[in-house]
Amino acid sequence: MPAMVEYIQTDSFFHRLNPITKILWTFAVLIISFLFNSPIPILVILLSNLLIALASGIIKQVLPMMKALFIFSFILILCQIFFVDEGKTLFYAIPYFNIGKVTDAGLNMSLVMSFRMVATVSTIPILMMTTPMTDMVVVLVEKLKIPFKYAFMFITALRFIPTLMGEIEQIMQAQMSRGYNSDTRNPFKKMVIVIPLAIPLLVSSIKKTEKMAISMEARGFASGPRSYFRKIVMGKADYAALVLLLTAILSPALL
Amino acid sequence: MIRLNNLCYQYKNGNKVLKNLNIHIKSGEFVAIIGQNGAGKTTLLKQLNGLLKPSQGTINVCGLDAAKTKTSILAKKIGFLFQNPDHQIFCATVYEEIAFGLKNLGISHEDIEGLVNRAAQRVGIDQYLKTDPFSLSKGQRQRVALASVLAMETDVLVLDEPTTGQDYSEGLEIMEIVKDLNKRGKTVIIVTHDMELVAQYAKRVIVLQKGSVLEDGPTEMVLGREESLALSNLQPPQAYLLAKKFHKQGFFKDVYRVEEMLDEIISYLDGEENACNG
Amino acid sequence: MIQIKGLSFLYNDSKEPALNNINLQIGEGEFVGIVGPTGAGKSTLALCLNGVIPHFLHGEFYGEVKVDGKDTVENDCARIAYSVGSVFQDPEAQIVSTRVEDEIAFGLENLNIPRIEIAARIKESLEMTGISDLRDYSTTQLSGGQKQRVAIASAIALRPKILVLDEPTSELDPKGSLDIFNTLQKLNKEYSITIVVIEQKIQLLTEYCSRLVVMEKGSVLLDGPTRNVLANQEILQKIGVNSSPVTRLAYMLKKEGLYQGEFPINVEEAYLVVSKVLSEKRR
Repeated sequence: MPAMVEYIQTDSFFHRLNPITKILWTFAVLIISFLFNSPIPILVILLSNLLIALASGIIKQVLPMMKALFIFSFILILCQIFFVDEGKTLFYAIPYFNIGKVTDAGLNMSLVMSFRMVATVSTIPILMMTTPMTDMVVVLVEKLKIPFKYAFMFITALRFIPTLMGEIEQIMQAQMSRGYNSDTRNPFKKMVIVIPLAIPLLVSSIKKTEKMAISMEARGFASGPRSYFRKIVMGKADYAALVLLLTAILSPALL
Repeated sequence: MIRLNNLCYQYKNGNKVLKNLNIHIKSGEFVAIIGQNGAGKTTLLKQLNGLLKPSQGTINVCGLDAAKTKTSILAKKIGFLFQNPDHQIFCATVYEEIAFGLKNLGISHEDIEGLVNRAAQRVGIDQYLKTDPFSLSKGQRQRVALASVLAMETDVLVLDEPTTGQDYSEGLEIMEIVKDLNKRGKTVIIVTHDMELVAQYAKRVIVLQKGSVLEDGPTEMVLGREESLALSNLQPPQAYLLAKKFHKQGFFKDVYRVEEMLDEIISYLDGEENACNG
Repeated sequence: MIQIKGLSFLYNDSKEPALNNINLQIGEGEFVGIVGPTGAGKSTLALCLNGVIPHFLHGEFYGEVKVDGKDTVENDCARIAYSVGSVFQDPEAQIVSTRVEDEIAFGLENLNIPRIEIAARIKESLEMTGISDLRDYSTTQLSGGQKQRVAIASAIALRPKILVLDEPTSELDPKGSLDIFNTLQKLNKEYSITIVVIEQKIQLLTEYCSRLVVMEKGSVLLDGPTRNVLANQEILQKIGVNSSPVTRLAYMLKKEGLYQGEFPINVEEAYLVVSKVLSEKRR
């Protein structure tokens, strides 16, 4: 399921990198994608993302997300490609009536936009799947100086996703056992039909969050200054990766 | 009524949860399914009303092929009570909550009222029909959930750990209602960890162990199979263990409920008395 | 270790008090079980012991609660956490981390314990709860019973003198429940941690606890050594508190006029009771 972004435990080069390095990597991908204005170099970056996913053993989870992103970007392309007037006309979408002109500049721009979006957005699930949440919190708070409460809120929300998925499943089954049928074509019915699922989900997630808050409170949560068990250090691999990222960012200027 | 032939089930990741189950349940039985967490008990129940479909083998429920029938259709034949009532309650009043299943089955408005009232009366919540179900206690909410299942008047009632999370008397109330329904001819299948409840209510016990049937037979027979139960980390009821300690001295037959143990003791003492007098 | 004097509590949105004039003294090293029907106030009492009431959940609070010499009104939850460890019912809702080590470190981090000390405490509490083999697990792969033992390890990592548990076995199977009580017994016997456990499974309570407290409608109805409390069978049955089958058998024998004496709490003791009944009649 593309909505599930959960940490996947394997021992890979990318897993072992410092979360800071990985966060800088996502920024580097963003910068480079915007420095270039032709599709080929951005496609190379996109392929490098796929390579990283492959090496980290998460390609099975990343590919469907990439696919979804491409479909989304294709819709975006359709929305604008016909409005570009500059450049040489390549072909028309409906040839005999000369409707839907596609120019080389338009095609170039659309491909750049599409690759750019997929390349930059796909770094985020790769980052989340290769970095344990607690490590992420440590660097967010200690290195990036984000207040602990916010950092913790962020990772707890992610930690709750699988729990809520399980709840939805159970609620769905309980209602289906009472003859509830979720497949209807009637659009009005579709609106009403989520109520038997939404209300129990709301009730049970409120109860669960309250229970979790009490359990955290009883262990002194947010009571004052805090220490961290995990120590996240920069290793040789991190410095090597940073040099690589810097070269990549500077390369458009050199080319 | 229910027939499973060589039924297997495995998750998408290849994990086999149910292996070659052959089970035949007749109309009017009261069956308890016991075993460790992860033995496949709940997975088995969900095959009965089509929430999960078998990977291999066949399953016939009240004449329907459950492997090919939608849950919303099987709901007319099988009532299913889950462990947590809060996974299903969503209406503003108890009445609407009980009527939900009936509306799904397409029953007419005039008939719904009678069915709701009857179900509410049977579980003893008829005074709460206009109440907001969320304001009731957990034990009462479980009875609302039970009523909403009973209202559909199915031939079979399936209960997945219905007493978990309830206190002793709440659990007992649910079990007494179920026992009464069984007396009136309803087929009951229950999953529970409570061996005393099993001894008290079930007529037949199936022990599941790692997805296979380890024992299947009358309650009196299965609860005495100490080795099989130990494999599932379960213990026979205390009354059985106690009576067994006297077997070496030649006293008492096998019993499973303390009431029977008391009868055994009294009849033994009476026997002694008669022997002395004679 | 725990002193409760005239404790009453009323939740903000309710009319009936959840607790009504509770007086309770629990000494160091006791293993106390709390039973009672739903709505008796058991969970509320537990929340008063760890300071969640009145610091996190609010309402009208009367009386005094002292744990390990600390008044729960004057000390906040964090300071009480050094004295009282808490474990709750739902294994899913009380685990905040994805790795076992991080979960045990959570409380220690909150209280600003230095990193080196945290590593030592993780090792220690894993050993105390007998789950050292789970150290490198992800919390999502654990069974319910394992999750609850991680929750216990996380609570005792702060080296509390008291451990309060609110129905820790309610979602577990018999094996998982037994594991929890064996762990509690070990903590009680070997490390003299005072245990207060709310529980519905009466067979476990009678076999493990030295003292039982029976609550009903916000009050303490019975309190004393397990056997003495079990002797009040009429009251227990009236308010809907179950007893072990062997205890009920002894009560039935008593009603028949066949037995006078202490109530058995396990099968071995019941064997002696029934043997006595048989032999006395024979004479």
